[in-house]
Amino acid sequence: MKSLVIVLIMAAVGLFLSAYTIDETEQGIIIEFGRPVDEPVIEAGLHFKMPWRQLVKFEKRILEYDVQPTAILSLDKKRLEVDNYARWRITDPLKFYRAVRTINGGLSRIDPIVYSEIRVELGKHNLTEIVDKRREKIMEVVTVEARKKLYEYGIDIIDVRIKRADLSQENEKAVFDRMIAERERQAKQYRSEGEEEALKIRAETDKEKTIILAEAYKESQEISGEGDARAVEIYAAAYKSDPDFYEFVRTLEAYKKVIDDKTTLILSINSELFDLMKGKK
Amino acid sequence: MARKIVVGDQEITIPTFNIGGLAILLLVVGAWFVLSAFYVVGPDEEGVVRRFGKWVRTEPSGLHFKFPYPIEKVDLPKVTQVQEISVGRILKEAKMLTGDENILLVEVRVQYKIKDAAQYLFNIRNVEETIKDATESALRQVIGSHPIDDPLTEKKAEIMDEIQVLLQEMLDHYKCGIDVRQVQLQDVNPPQEVDFAFKDVQSAKEEKEQLINEALGYQNDVIPKARGGAEKLIREAEAYYEERIKRAEGDASKFLSVLAEYRKAKNVTEKRLYLETMEQILPGIEKVILDEKAGNLLNVLPLGNLEGVKKTGVNK
Repeated sequence: MKSLVIVLIMAAVGLFLSAYTIDETEQGIIIEFGRPVDEPVIEAGLHFKMPWRQLVKFEKRILEYDVQPTAILSLDKKRLEVDNYARWRITDPLKFYRAVRTINGGLSRIDPIVYSEIRVELGKHNLTEIVDKRREKIMEVVTVEARKKLYEYGIDIIDVRIKRADLSQENEKAVFDRMIAERERQAKQYRSEGEEEALKIRAETDKEKTIILAEAYKESQEISGEGDARAVEIYAAAYKSDPDFYEFVRTLEAYKKVIDDKTTLILSINSELFDLMKGKK
Repeated sequence: MARKIVVGDQEITIPTFNIGGLAILLLVVGAWFVLSAFYVVGPDEEGVVRRFGKWVRTEPSGLHFKFPYPIEKVDLPKVTQVQEISVGRILKEAKMLTGDENILLVEVRVQYKIKDAAQYLFNIRNVEETIKDATESALRQVIGSHPIDDPLTEKKAEIMDEIQVLLQEMLDHYKCGIDVRQVQLQDVNPPQEVDFAFKDVQSAKEEKEQLINEALGYQNDVIPKARGGAEKLIREAEAYYEERIKRAEGDASKFLSVLAEYRKAKNVTEKRLYLETMEQILPGIEKVILDEKAGNLLNVLPLGNLEGVKKTGVNK
């Protein structure tokens, strides 16, 4: 009876020592007296091992690598402050355990490799290539190179990316000066364009005004000329019937117009008006 | 049932509760089993169940059953909740180079939510930081591919889309189970050092508009007036036309009727017309009547009065 209990207890303890779980976020290796045995345990779930063997767990998730910005010189000799990051994971826990053991150990291997790859690769390109879309290609090269070099540590670099690439202060100053000059040029252009447009509109307006008035003048002259012509025609038609009488009547009409209240008229007593006065006829 | 033990010469009876004790134990274990076996997934959550650390299923909201700890374990990430991060609140984060090598300050806000709870929980250690790093990187890459005027003006929306696509691509590459819902450019400003020049461009633009508007105002003032003036000229000419004709017709018919009368009695009418005219003219004016036989004409002229004389009519 007693021995049965002992056996049961020992079995329980044995089970407790040999059963272990690996989470989805973990992976592990089994160590026997300091020496790794078997394949690494990648698959999550319940596993068993020999009770005396030891389990070492590692992260399976993607890990971050982020360092202080570093100064880098581009091909066109521009000094850049580059702040980059990388995402990585432990892909071979056995190699990783042998080479670096901990995450911090891993980071200390990643750091010099990524740094030098970035330095080398960015040094082959001009600033514009580093800044624009071509950056992606450059960083792909960095990623591939770093990945190759970190493979032996059981580390996989997923990507290396530039967070920030700022110009150094003196380069920045030059950029500011250029930006100001550029904007001043634009402002000037807008102002003179405004004047140009305004002058065009005004000139066009004046032209249009002159044309409108000239056309109206032309039309009005035509109309009044026509009126004059018609009038002449009417007069001529009437007066033709007796030109002498017309002359007589028209002269009388003219007197009325020519002689007004400011006129001094010197009349000869011989004039027809006074014929009767003098007793002629 | 009771057990008796002997201590010295005394016999003590200890009551045993073996069955009762076991029952209580079973009850406690049973209660714990039930309590830790049932769980509720909230309406904004998903239940991600791991058995011995291995993912086995993901449950929607509602009441669910699982094996008690330590066999199964559940996480309840809030999958419908939209979360937000901002990049560019501080100068160092905001300052970036544009495609035409200008410098710009940009603040961006990213809204995201979990699209795959298992990926979100298992694939990446620090999701928040990863999203932030990726946002910074994507933002700079996109801004770096455009000239400075794009993000400052009408291409903002296009740039936001580009950032969103690139960011989503990057996060999918990490398999972190995040869905980028929206990327918004918040503040986009030129750096302080050059701000005045940009503001001056703005005012130059406004000045241009103003100059043009003034010129258009001039146009709107002058052209209608000219048209009005033109209309006036023409109307006047038309009036003149009518007047001339009507007057001619009037004069003609008057002449013809007088002529008709004249023809009836030529001499009489001629005399009458003459005298009538004289009657009309002579009353209002100064007259000097002289007889040529009376002597020198100058003797009779009232020379002092001639100043006001403008017209002199001499009878035939």
